[in-house]
Amino acid sequence: MEFKDFSRSINHTKLDKFADYLASGKIMGTTCKKCGSRYYPPRADCKKCFSDGMDWVELKGRGKLITFTSINVPPDYFDVGFKNLTPPFSKARYTACPIGILRLDNGLSIMGWIPGIALKEISVGLELVAVPVTLPDGTVTIKLCD
Amino acid sequence: MRRVAIVGIGNGKFGIRKDASLRELAFEPVKECLDDAGISLGDVDSMVTGIASDEFSLAFQPSAQIHDYLGFNPKPNFRVEGACASGSMAVRTGWLTVASGIADVVLVVAAEKMNEVNTGVATEILGRAGDSTWEYPFGTSFPGYYAMIASAHMDRHGTTEEQLAMVAVKNHHYGMMNPLAHIQKEVSLEMVLNSFVVAHPLKLYDCCLISDGAAAIILASEEKAKEISKKPVWITGLGCGTDTLGLNERRDLTTLEGTVFAANQAYKMAGVTPDDIDVACVHDCFTIGEICAYEDLGFCKKGEGGKMIEEKQTYLDGKIPVNVDGGLKSKGHPIGATGVSMSVEIVKQLREEAGKRQVKGAETGLSHNIAGSGQAVAVHIYQRD
Ligand SMILES: CC(C)(COP(=O)(O)OP(=O)(O)OC[C@H]1O[C@@H](n2cnc3c(N)ncnc32)[C@H](O)[C@@H]1OP(=O)(O)O)[C@@H](O)C(=O)NCCC(=O)NCCS
Ligand SMILES: [Zn+2]
Repeated sequence: MEFKDFSRSINHTKLDKFADYLASGKIMGTTCKKCGSRYYPPRADCKKCFSDGMDWVELKGRGKLITFTSINVPPDYFDVGFKNLTPPFSKARYTACPIGILRLDNGLSIMGWIPGIALKEISVGLELVAVPVTLPDGTVTIKLCD
Repeated sequence: MRRVAIVGIGNGKFGIRKDASLRELAFEPVKECLDDAGISLGDVDSMVTGIASDEFSLAFQPSAQIHDYLGFNPKPNFRVEGACASGSMAVRTGWLTVASGIADVVLVVAAEKMNEVNTGVATEILGRAGDSTWEYPFGTSFPGYYAMIASAHMDRHGTTEEQLAMVAVKNHHYGMMNPLAHIQKEVSLEMVLNSFVVAHPLKLYDCCLISDGAAAIILASEEKAKEISKKPVWITGLGCGTDTLGLNERRDLTTLEGTVFAANQAYKMAGVTPDDIDVACVHDCFTIGEICAYEDLGFCKKGEGGKMIEEKQTYLDGKIPVNVDGGLKSKGHPIGATGVSMSVEIVKQLREEAGKRQVKGAETGLSHNIAGSGQAVAVHIYQRD
């Protein structure tokens, strides 16, 4: 798995394994070996103590939606670039899929697509769970579900 | 450090400028601000150029196009980039150049030609102002980031879609009085509420425009300012702040901490409080942005921004007139140019040259310019003699 299979634009980071983890069904953050600070999105370097030693940790559990939107005027890439994708993307042409940010009990927050819930049913405070998905074209992303 | 004044202002027509290239757009306000100051380019020691994006410019060093076109070489010029706050960061850099004594007279010019690309591509370029590694994969757009701020604000503070729409109604109203504005059109509350949803809950009329345009000012040291200008406007306070790249790490999605930080610095430096501000240009890239600005700049308490617009406290005859030039919403938002255009408007107000939209007796003004969704913020305070 290439990191780009998740990022869709950036080719490499020290955290390339993030995409492999997603493919294996795990959403991973990192924890600083020295001071214990936890990060999501994962970081290779700690901004609290400046250590560069990190451990991967799996993020599990439900969380509460802290915000959401649904974008009807998408960036070019998402409008025409995604030709063969099924939900959370539409097949022929992008149709808006809500996105949101889920705050976990440990304080970390995860962004994800919300393909399964109608926009009018979504509200701040909704309890959801973040799960990795492998799309039919083999790329990976994250969705937030009931 | 030396005192620094604005002694010349210029602002080109904002809009979809199919008639001009980037360098030609920049030429217009430069000519105007030199004429306004009554000096020639030969009197200018140094230049600073604000441009946000290479991708809009379709060039790697767009500032070179401008100094070359003006014939400024071999004197100093470089580009300052701060996304949508590039203009204000260029003003800040110009101010530092004069205050430090490196130069006595500085030209600050800022320009953007966004309509070289279509809306989809512009949305793509702007979307990457957020976290291009960790947010971009979720199809985030610029309106999308502010939409997420709006959803949180509505939940936390009870702000309504109607209150957001009221900001658009006000700014379109004042844009009607500004001949330089991109759109001159009154809009009603119903029109705003019924317009196309760009990113829920933000609609077409909640969004700023994709504009082309340029603005320029001349900055001078105290000694030079007194020589050149009868009505110098002094930049007496400058503040700059930052925030996390990704929205998910914000402590409070409804507060732009960079604004709070920058405003406190600027107020302290100028020795003023929010109550002393007579007129303000704030970053209304989206209507929710103006509401957050009221709160984060201290014009009202946190959570009361919606009420502030509902009570029309930011209209010309209200407590503190905000964006009476039409704002980014109606005047337009050629991203890099916006910050300098805000300085131009505040100078017009403090010189009492703003015509129909003049705030009577304005002595102290403020501009507030944001990069991205708060990642960098500049606040300047202006005072007249
Ligand atoms: C909202 C937005 C997507 C609309 O773009 P669009 O769909 O391409 O709109 P069009 O250019 O096709 O314009 C359609 C009509 O709406 C008008 N219009 C476009 N954007 C408008 C806006 N923001 N406000 C009011 N009217 C607008 C146009 O003038 C045009 O009117 P006309 O039919 O009378 O000529 C676009 O303006 C946008 O992305 N704005 C935000 C820009 C941004 O994020 N900037 C950075 C922020 S710091
Ligand atoms: Zn650490």
